[in-house]
Amino acid sequence: MIRNIAALTLNDLAIAFKNKTLFLILFVPLFIFFSLQWVDRTEAPLQKVKIGLIQGESYFPEMVQNIQSAKNVFDVFWFSNEAEGQRWLKEKKGDGLLVPSEKEPERLELIILTKASFQTVAVVESLSALQIAVEGKRKNWISGIRPLQEGEVQKQTLPTWILMVVLLVGFIVLPAQVAEEKEKKLLLGLLQTPMREAEWLLAKVFLGMILTGLAAILLQLLGRFHFDFAGGFSYAAFLAVGSFCFSAFGICLGFLCRSQASARTLGVLFYLPHLLPSALSDFSQKLNTIAPLLPSYQLYGPIKSILLEGGRLPQFSPEWGYLFFIGLSASFLSYLLMKRRWLM
Amino acid sequence: MKAHGLLPKRPTPIPMEAAMQLEVRHLTKVYRERRGLLQTRFNVEKGELIAIVGHNGAGKSTLLKILAGWIVPDGGDVWVEGVDFKNRLALVRKIGFIPETPNLFDFFSVEYNLKLFARLFKIPFSRIEETLEEFNLRPFRRHAIRELSKGLQQRVSIGRALLPEPPLLLFDEPTSGLDFEMTKEIYRLLKKIHASGKTILFTSHRPEEIQTLATRIMVLHQGGLAFDGSPQEYFQSKIHENLYA
Repeated sequence: MIRNIAALTLNDLAIAFKNKTLFLILFVPLFIFFSLQWVDRTEAPLQKVKIGLIQGESYFPEMVQNIQSAKNVFDVFWFSNEAEGQRWLKEKKGDGLLVPSEKEPERLELIILTKASFQTVAVVESLSALQIAVEGKRKNWISGIRPLQEGEVQKQTLPTWILMVVLLVGFIVLPAQVAEEKEKKLLLGLLQTPMREAEWLLAKVFLGMILTGLAAILLQLLGRFHFDFAGGFSYAAFLAVGSFCFSAFGICLGFLCRSQASARTLGVLFYLPHLLPSALSDFSQKLNTIAPLLPSYQLYGPIKSILLEGGRLPQFSPEWGYLFFIGLSASFLSYLLMKRRWLM
Repeated sequence: MKAHGLLPKRPTPIPMEAAMQLEVRHLTKVYRERRGLLQTRFNVEKGELIAIVGHNGAGKSTLLKILAGWIVPDGGDVWVEGVDFKNRLALVRKIGFIPETPNLFDFFSVEYNLKLFARLFKIPFSRIEETLEEFNLRPFRRHAIRELSKGLQQRVSIGRALLPEPPLLLFDEPTSGLDFEMTKEIYRLLKKIHASGKTILFTSHRPEEIQTLATRIMVLHQGGLAFDGSPQEYFQSKIHENLYA
């Protein structure tokens, strides 16, 4: 039995190599790593906020004085008029332009390029820190900017990437591969050998787990994240059960489809609703309520806690058991469909 | 035997006296489109080369696919050399099936495909060398299946099916889509395999193929066995004419 499973798993890996699936799985962590390198450079010098002021405008003198004195935080640029300042902003040379408010002459208006940008956050943070300093509530107001630049986004977003890889293998790669083997009658060919149905299923689950494991190891190596033994063991245990659960789920989806094309469509229909609510649950109260209903959150939540908050496996044994049960149920359903030669 | 309207009524005896290699009893498979196989019953003796003919949708491929384990029947029983066909793990060593379109791993080489099956059958790799030699596949051993012509792919498919040396071989339209030369090559192979003592069932639409190869002909019509006899009887009767009129 072990020999057959090994032969079939190696065959599946060879197929994954030939049809470039293996490269996709390795490309995802590399792409994530190099993209986040630009966001997450802890060794990079603190970037100053480039703020523009208009000559001749009546600014609050204490504010101008404070901005100019905080040379480590602000680079001040003076413009002869607002149009010139706006051009400077559009050319992405600066982060924000301060002009007196038309509605409330005593207050200021901040002109920025786009609202949802790191620059905006930096400017607003800096200015509110400035305001606090001016009002005398906090003396060391410049230190309030630091978290914006430090980030460690790579580790903070690692649970999302792990979830993405697990779901990618489970819902995109495996259903298409199973459907392809059915479509080309390769599975029927294998069923003309003394291979047992369970052996084929186990080989496919192992393929999913190996692909997920490879991507996770690569993410780990590139990010150089460190865990203690208990943390590493908990992380590996959830990674194993998560990849088992979603690989079995994906294989089952593959059995419900007659062709590769329909398997891909069905896979995406499961992939996005499992990925987005869980990955975005931290940003929305409503999603935070919905996400725990999804199996993907039972993986995402514990992985996030283990990686970022020092959570350990015993705390999440119900989630681990739940994922294992889902994986086992999906495997059993696939076995029944295989026995019935469903849509083959 | 129930004869259908298209064909003349004719009793077709089933040879029950000999030790049977294949026994099919009340085999039934009905698809949603109301076609398939209905209560089919026949026996096959060792060493026969049987052509199964009939219109499209008559149930020829369905019959072979059920025997090969590709389709689960609605009912009926099959025994191959006394082995119940529900015992798949034992049956795979008794039956080799060569589908109309070769189902090989086309990314991989001829040798890889044979090795994978040899591993699963736990057959020594020396058998692969014999197969490559027997089917003139040595020059193509490292060629990817997708690079080969359909005729060569069919040869690999036959070679793969013969790896565990099953006594019964099923061919679904073995020369479909092949040119004249390759068709002749497949006829030669079929005769050679038959001469080595194997029992063969094949489906066909080609009268010349049936005449050249078959030692017995079975006609399926609307899912039922409408004729079962020798090629002489078949070609002398009006069945052939009625079938292809």
